[in-house]
Amino acid sequence: MTTTLPSVGTISPATRLREFATNTPNAIALREKSRGIWREFTWAAFWDQAEAFAHALLAHGIERGDRVAIHSDNRPEWLFTDLGSLAAGAACMGLYPTNPTVEVEYLLKNSGSRLLIVEDEEQADKVLAVPTADLPALEKIVYLEHRGVDAYDDPRLMSWDAFMAEGRAHRETHPHAVEERMAEARPEDLAYLVYTSGTTGPPKGSMITLRNLEFAANEIAGDRGIVQPGPGPDDLIVSYLPLCHIYEKLFSVVFNTGAGVPIHFGESLDTLVADMRDVQPTIVQGVPRIWERIFAAIQVRLASASRLKRVNAAIWLASARYVGRTLVRREGRHTVLSRLLLRVGDVFLFRSLKDRVGLRRIRYGVSAAAPIAPEILQFFMSIGVPLYEAYGMTENCGVATANRPGRIKLGTVGEPYPGCELRLDAETGEILTRHPAVFAGYWNLPEATARTIDADGWLHTGDVGAWVDDTHVKIIDRIKDIIITSGGKNVSPSEIENTLKASPFIKEAIVIGDRRRYLTALIGIDLEVVSEWAQRHKIPHTTYRDLSEKPEVIKLVQKAVDAANEKFSRVEQIKTFRLLTKELDHEEGELTATQKVKRSVIEDKFGDLIESMYR
Amino acid sequence: MVVVRARLLHEILPAAVADGAPLLEIADVHLAFAGVKAIDGVSLTVRRGKVFAVIGPNGAGKTSIFNCISGVYHPQQGSIHFEGADILGLKPNRIADLGVARTFQNIELFPQLTVLDNLMLGRHQHLHYGTPAAMLRIGKAAREEARNREVVEGIIEFLDIQQHRKSYVAMLPYGIQKRVELGRALAMAPKLLLLDEPAAGMNLEETEDMARFITDIRRELGIGIVLVDHDMHLVMDLADTVLAIDFGRPIAAGTPREIQSNQDVIRAYLGEEHAVADPGGSA
Repeated sequence: MTTTLPSVGTISPATRLREFATNTPNAIALREKSRGIWREFTWAAFWDQAEAFAHALLAHGIERGDRVAIHSDNRPEWLFTDLGSLAAGAACMGLYPTNPTVEVEYLLKNSGSRLLIVEDEEQADKVLAVPTADLPALEKIVYLEHRGVDAYDDPRLMSWDAFMAEGRAHRETHPHAVEERMAEARPEDLAYLVYTSGTTGPPKGSMITLRNLEFAANEIAGDRGIVQPGPGPDDLIVSYLPLCHIYEKLFSVVFNTGAGVPIHFGESLDTLVADMRDVQPTIVQGVPRIWERIFAAIQVRLASASRLKRVNAAIWLASARYVGRTLVRREGRHTVLSRLLLRVGDVFLFRSLKDRVGLRRIRYGVSAAAPIAPEILQFFMSIGVPLYEAYGMTENCGVATANRPGRIKLGTVGEPYPGCELRLDAETGEILTRHPAVFAGYWNLPEATARTIDADGWLHTGDVGAWVDDTHVKIIDRIKDIIITSGGKNVSPSEIENTLKASPFIKEAIVIGDRRRYLTALIGIDLEVVSEWAQRHKIPHTTYRDLSEKPEVIKLVQKAVDAANEKFSRVEQIKTFRLLTKELDHEEGELTATQKVKRSVIEDKFGDLIESMYR
Repeated sequence: MVVVRARLLHEILPAAVADGAPLLEIADVHLAFAGVKAIDGVSLTVRRGKVFAVIGPNGAGKTSIFNCISGVYHPQQGSIHFEGADILGLKPNRIADLGVARTFQNIELFPQLTVLDNLMLGRHQHLHYGTPAAMLRIGKAAREEARNREVVEGIIEFLDIQQHRKSYVAMLPYGIQKRVELGRALAMAPKLLLLDEPAAGMNLEETEDMARFITDIRRELGIGIVLVDHDMHLVMDLADTVLAIDFGRPIAAGTPREIQSNQDVIRAYLGEEHAVADPGGSA
């Protein structure tokens, strides 16, 4: 061998990728399903693409610290852009595929991105709708899909193939240029600008550095990380949450380049269930909404099965309830009996249920980004899906707390990571964290940064928490969301909302009651589940609105509300509710890009409906 | 491994040179059923790479024209030439073999088959192997099956129906069935595509999707398209030439703009009382 290993700058996902390409060039790094076939990328091919992208950036004069934006669904090119930008010393900024033109304009302008990758005509149209003069920093728009965009004549447009060809040509003439860039990398370099979705005010760009990522890689995906035994090339992850969000980055980038876990890209978001079934991933990252949907899908499946199957299901679900209670009581540790019941139940029922939704081989499932109802966690645990709730945020690169195998406390978000200092503010109960993954601040917002990171380096999360048994942390709510009723009682709306959403019929719940005499709720039904229910009960219906106005449906939801009310004290009970007559939507401003409800918008938009509950 | 991206239609199907050359020429066609005139002297020319629309009230004879072109009806008088050759009197399957594919006003798919199988059936005239090879799935049969599957997968991708690939057609929503039918017509690798009310019964979003598909087909394949639809916005957006008929008789032909402001068309199609909104059209 005459090749010498390139000099290593600061360790980053890019250097880790290069290492995999050197050490195990022919092992699988990524798979993508397209036209019905799973296609593979080896580590060597992955690095070849990322490096060529980095060369293309250099060819276009991208400097260290410049921002490169991408507006696309998850696909391999997303990671080529991400890792290629890191290799070139640039920072990658992702846009949500659902971002409408006004937000695209804001994010590009605010970040000063010099280059934008767009997936297709739809995303190209959004940026091209912004007058060129309003985006002075934006020099190039590189498109992945040719359909439609080929016909446009904006001089900034360029195809991905042409862009990559320039990168390869640059590699021919300057073979060491990217290597040299990588050697210049420093821990404090900006790696990502991650815009927080902002339930209030415009999005803020969180500056994530290489040091942040390296710490997160060790704490989350390392040997003492959340997955035990540690993750590796035999694991499988499906990439499907928005890649511009820190949560998916931790799995698609950090688990991939940090631990060598192959990442899978399905055909589209619509085919997620089929893709999951193909892959049967071992590690599954989900937000509560996803777990709620899988839960609802299983319930619907069981309810519409034949009589014999329903009897079989009833027996094993009863057994599962025992297993679930045992596991909850014993913090996730089995007894001999519970393990036996689970094994036998697996043969008769659970294995086929799990197989259908792609969870047959799961060894670690995580729910984060929003609170999840304990009932849902317990259900999954009871059928042998190891699901853990964890907590983190963009500003601490996702590193705060997690429940761990054998040390689960339901209703908490778990214990702080070994390397994470965590304390509660003595006065407000706000959760504060301090560790090397605390971000570098908000992009161009020194005041907001100073409000968030104090002089001692503590990150103020904005979440109110409480200790449980001195080891686990329970999240009460966002500080600003806490409801103070006119009787002076503090109520956490999200806890009530999650209990409501544990019903498969309820998709959305917004509890109202700040400075009011009693609590009420706006509730959105789950169209799929309720429609299926209505069909079984022979209730003819047409649209979402029509279904929501059926007296039978209102009665159905009332039952779910009554059941939820039983779990709360009098002041925390929902006195009355109204059903939303439309599905909430990101493009109409009711949800954030991460599908969180924007309370102020809802309270404004449905003001009359809310007032009608207090008359 | 190279990066995979959506294939353009001309990468999977034979494309035509969109040179505007005449593809289908119909001259003075008359069709009557037991004395009732269904088509009364219609002439039209469809050109390569162009969209030709036929509009008219219900029962005006639009679908009858389609049935004459595809060989279901045999007109008593007139001529129909496809690529210069006389096709009048040919059987429907022979005309299909020449490269004329169609969709139907009321979807005509095999409801008990999957989307994939329906589309593969659209490829049947591109299969060239015998029964023994087909039964054993060996040699040529296996190779052709794989090649045709690739074409079909490209069409599935184009129509964005991956999630329905293995679903039975009968279980699918109407709008998706319409897409599948368009897909089956495409699978035949046509030179001329006849679309009978492709957007009928669709909501706005589905109609917009369909319009996009038609635009892309025309741009990427350069084939001729004949379109019959009630959705005036769709017709006016997509068509290069419009022919308006009433009681089987042509009443006007021209660009969408000319047709929109034509008094006879407004009377026949939009109703007597319809106010003329176009300032250039009324005097």
